[in-house]
This record gives sequence, C-alpha cells and structure tokens, in this order.
Amino acid sequence: MEKRESLWDRCLDKGISRRSFIKSCVALTSLMGLSTDCLSKVVEAAEAKPLPVVIWIHGHECTGCDESFIRSASPLASDLVLSQIDLEYDHLLSAACGAPFEAHLEETIQKYKGQYILAVEGAVSTKDNGIFCMSGGHTFTHLLRHAAENAMAVIAYGTCAVSGGIQAAAPNPTGSSGIKMFVGNKPLINVPGCPPIPEVMTGVVMHVALFGAAPPLDGEGRPKQFYGNRIHDTCYRRPFFDAGLFAENYDDAGAKAGWCLYKLGCRGPETYNSCGNIRWYQGMSYPIQSGAACIGCSNPHFWDEGSFSDRLPKYDKIGDADKIGVGLAVMTTAGVAAHAVASVVQKGQRDVQEAQKGGAAE
Amino acid sequence: MKEVKRKEYYIFSPFLRIFHWIMVAMILILFVTGLLIAKPLQVMTPEPTYTLTSMDLVRDIHFVAAFIFCASFILRIYGFIINKGDRLFPRVWEGHFYEETVDVALHYMLLKPHHASFLRNPLARMSYAALYAMVLVEILTGFAMYYMNDPNSTGGVLFGWVNVIAGGEMMTHLVHHYVAWFIILFAIGHIYMVIRAEFMEGESEVSSMFSGSKILAHTPKDACELE
Ligand code: HEM
Ligand code: SF4
Repeated sequence: MEKRESLWDRCLDKGISRRSFIKSCVALTSLMGLSTDCLSKVVEAAEAKPLPVVIWIHGHECTGCDESFIRSASPLASDLVLSQIDLEYDHLLSAACGAPFEAHLEETIQKYKGQYILAVEGAVSTKDNGIFCMSGGHTFTHLLRHAAENAMAVIAYGTCAVSGGIQAAAPNPTGSSGIKMFVGNKPLINVPGCPPIPEVMTGVVMHVALFGAAPPLDGEGRPKQFYGNRIHDTCYRRPFFDAGLFAENYDDAGAKAGWCLYKLGCRGPETYNSCGNIRWYQGMSYPIQSGAACIGCSNPHFWDEGSFSDRLPKYDKIGDADKIGVGLAVMTTAGVAAHAVASVVQKGQRDVQEAQKGGAAE
Repeated sequence: MKEVKRKEYYIFSPFLRIFHWIMVAMILILFVTGLLIAKPLQVMTPEPTYTLTSMDLVRDIHFVAAFIFCASFILRIYGFIINKGDRLFPRVWEGHFYEETVDVALHYMLLKPHHASFLRNPLARMSYAALYAMVLVEILTGFAMYYMNDPNSTGGVLFGWVNVIAGGEMMTHLVHHYVAWFIILFAIGHIYMVIRAEFMEGESEVSSMFSGSKILAHTPKDACELE
C-alpha cells in the first residue's frame, strides 16, 4: 500500500511554510473547541496522521447542507476538500460520474476498509424498500448500509440525516428517518441543523480526521463543543428577553429597536446550536440577528412543532392552549354549577322521602 | 330544632395542613407566572425605561415558587410518617376500595341518593393521586427546562432525559403548559366537591383543612383505619 500523506506532507508538497502550517493548526485547534494547551497535540497529529479518506453520500434531501459547507471560511472549504482530507467520493461535489465513478466508490471502500470517514447527508427513505431514493442502480438504504459497515466513523450532516428532516415531516409519505438505524454500532456523530453552520461541519470532520475519534458527544450524539448551549442562552437579544421587551410584529417599533423575538415564535429557548456564538459566514450574522425568529432547525421534529411564528400551537379556529384552557375552565365551572343545582334538588327529594319514612315509623 | 349527634375524628396533621396551603398558594403563583412566561405582557410604550414587564422577575418568582413547592413535600411526607391520618396514596390494593369508589361515583352521578360516609372518600383520594401525578409531571418537565441552560450540570444530567422522552424540548414546554391547565381544572372540581360535601352531606370538609378534624354525624366506614 502506498504511503498516505499527512497534512504536513501536503504543505511541503505545495511549498507552504512551516509558519503557515502552524498558523492553520492554531486555527484548527480553536475551531475544534479545544483549549490552546492542545496545540502541540494538533500539530503532532497534523504531521503524522495520514489525511483521512472521506466518502460523502447524499440521501433524501435538498443538498442545502453542501451550500452551507462550501461557505466554510476557517478552514476554507476548498482547502479542506483539496488538501486537508482525501475526499474520494461525493455525490454532489465530484466531477466524475457514471459506472467508473461507482466502481471507484467500491474500490475505495475495499481499499480503506475500517479507515475511512463516512459523511452522510439527507434522510433515508424506508417505505416500499426505499425506492424513493436511488443512486447507481441501488437504493440509498443499500448504499448506506454497505458504506457504513466498513467505515471507521459516521458523521450525520444536517437534520435530515440525524432525524429525517423535512422528508419526515407529517405525513411522511416516503417513510423517511434519520440514518441511525442503518449504521450499526459504528461511532455516529450527529451534526443537526438545516443546514448546520459551515464551520461546525468542517470542524467536526477535522476533529475525527486528526484524532481518529469522535469529539465529546452529548446525550443525543451531538458534539458538545458546538451543541452544548441553547441559542437563547447565548443570544445577544437575551437582555431584551429578561427585561420583557418584545417585538409584537415584524414591523413594529420593537422589531426595529432589535427587541427579543420570543413572542414571534422564537425557538431559541429550546434549540441547541452555535448560532449565538460562532454565527454564520465568518460571524457575519444569524437568523435572529437579521430579525427573523429562530425556527429551531437543529431540533429533531421542528417541522411538526407548531407554527413557526407562534409560541403555542394553534388548533384551527379554536385557538391555542390558553384559549382552550379558558374554555374548559368555563365549561367545568358551568358543569359544576349544574351539578350543584341537581344535587340540591336530589337532596330535597331525599329529605322529603326521609321525613315521610320517619312519619310512617312514628 | 333538630339535634344531631356528631363525633370528632382527628385526621390531618399540622404538617399536611401547612403543606396543603403552601401548595394552594404556590400553584396559584406558578400558574399565573407561567402564563405570563408563555405570553408576556405587552410593553405599551416605545420608551421602556420604566416599564414593569421584567421577564426576569416573573421567571424568578416562578422558580422560587417552584422550589418552595418542591421543598414543601418534605412536610407532606413527614406527616405521612408520623400521623396515620395523612395518607399519600389511595388504598387501591384493597378490594373494597373499588366497590366503594363505584358507590360514591353513582351518587355523584345523581343515580343514588346517598353514599356511605368516609373519612377518606375513595373517589376524592383517586383525584388527589391524579393531582400528585400532574404535579410530578410539572416538576419533571419544569426542572428539565430549568437545568438545561447547562446540560452538563448535575441537574441537567438528572432531568435531561425528560426532554428525550417528551420528544424534544419544545414538547417539554407544551406538556408543562397543558398540564398546568389540567391542574386548574382539577382545582375547580376540587373546590366544588369540598363545598358540596360541607353543605349537602354535612361533612365538615372545608374546616378540616384548618383544624385537622372532621366532625361527622354518621360513623364513617373507614373509622377503624385511624387506630
Ligand atoms: C403546579 C406547578 C406548575 C405550574 C402550574 C407551572 C406552570 C407553568 C406554565 C404555564 C409555564 C409556561 C410554559 C411555556 O409555554 O413555556 C411554565 C414555564 C416554566 N416553568 Fe412551570 N409550572 C409549575 C411548576 C414548575 C416547576 C416545579 C418548575 C421547576 C423549576 C418549573 C419551571 C418552569 C420553567 C423553567 C418554565 C419555562 C420558562 C421559560 O421558558 O423561560 N415550573 N410553568
Ligand atoms: S430572540 Fe429568541 S433566542 Fe434571542 S433572547 Fe429572544 S427568545 Fe431567546
């Protein structure tokens, strides 16, 4: 087997200076959410570890995650794809296609058995044996099982791969689900988001590449360094929330003043993501900063959790839980009052009967 | 004038009674502040410096009330240990419980003129068990939301699973909100039944939660349980 290059080897090839190499290692360290003490470890890994082979497959989805991914700035997606990982197969980014390309996939799987990282985007459509999503003559379920079986680790990119995403929204006609059931006992890293933040996508794959293991994960399999906080707890509009200053409409004075979007249905209070601190596109902005309430796109069932612009779901014309609650309370009170009247009548009859009985006995 | 002979039965320990009134106050506070958390008041002025809508304050009141409520269960459980009259759960493992429940239910459905006299009405006891179940749901979902500002904290680890079972943290909010309404529905029914028992059946229900004793004309079926 030929010797596989490390990141440092690649730099030497390209005539990139040691100084630039160390600089990118520093950037990588902070990006992966590690403390600067770990820099020497990162440098060592970058010098010695062969570049990781990555197979990137796409299921039932819109490929919006790639749109996000190619906008990663640190590391630049182009750097990552061309010099920091060995991207052997990618449904979307590869120039090649057809039978030779599929043959190359099989070759890669065999050659790097147990060594490659499998990145999966998109949901798995399971209904009718998965015929709703096919590539290269096979269903996606087949490809996913096969590729996952021989992988070192699997990364689920995007809410679709993690839990089904929009395909799985009710009524879920294609029986879509996340990939978890199909990857067996391989280490699985969930990177939800619709799409995930570009730097989070590159950061996770670089972590696996350099350390050969998954980063610390939370209970739902998400990397803690990126999904460890609610957006609400990192949001720059939080002081307005605490002060009780809310935009009531998207065009009122509160919205213009940049007040909290809670009453417009913001899902920040239950959404775990790095939008509040890393933000998007080199820290330029994120939905809440641009004035739109968070829709909770990294939550498993966010499509089905009520209207995006209300805190409480509305049930057609009846209204939300508070209206229904008031209605039920009024009805209960009326019921109770009716029962009271009926009870008084019954007691009256009872007393009369008892008096008669008492009279008869005397 | 009608003379009725009555006997006094001491049932509720002071611990239970104090707990009960703490619970009443806390549920009211929690319910009102909770609704305000879900639908905060509107700031009526574009110049908000002196508004009184502090969400932080409302949430803090909710949380302090929640902690007092949880702590007050210590009184309830202590009373249960030292006093035979304070019972935590209905005696569902005793066969006659069911017959008696049906008997009482038939009376409440106005199908029977009487129901047997009880110190602890089995149907009421069932409704209290349901209340405690709802309170437990509120406590679990409440702390699951409360502690997840740091999922790695002890509280986050202790209660984080609730969000998984609920199917996402948004669902936890909704469950917490909906169950809050059911607690209020319980309260309406409860207040009515207590007052009804006081006036219709001559059971000194209302005063028993102050004095601890019920003063009854008939010998209750479960009087022996106090010995
Ligand atoms: C009988 C007991 C309780 C009632 C009736 C009650 C009621 C409510 C209601 C109606 C809400 C609004 C829900 C929403 O739409 O987000 C709420 C929110 C909340 N409650 Fe409770 N609650 C109770 C007990 C508790 C307990 C024991 C805790 C534990 C700390 C708690 C913590 C919370 C939290 C963290 C929120 C969300 C606050 C936020 O979103 O900022 N609650 N409560
Ligand atoms: S805008 Fe959303 S995330 Fe930010 S403070 Fe308000 S509710 Fe929380």
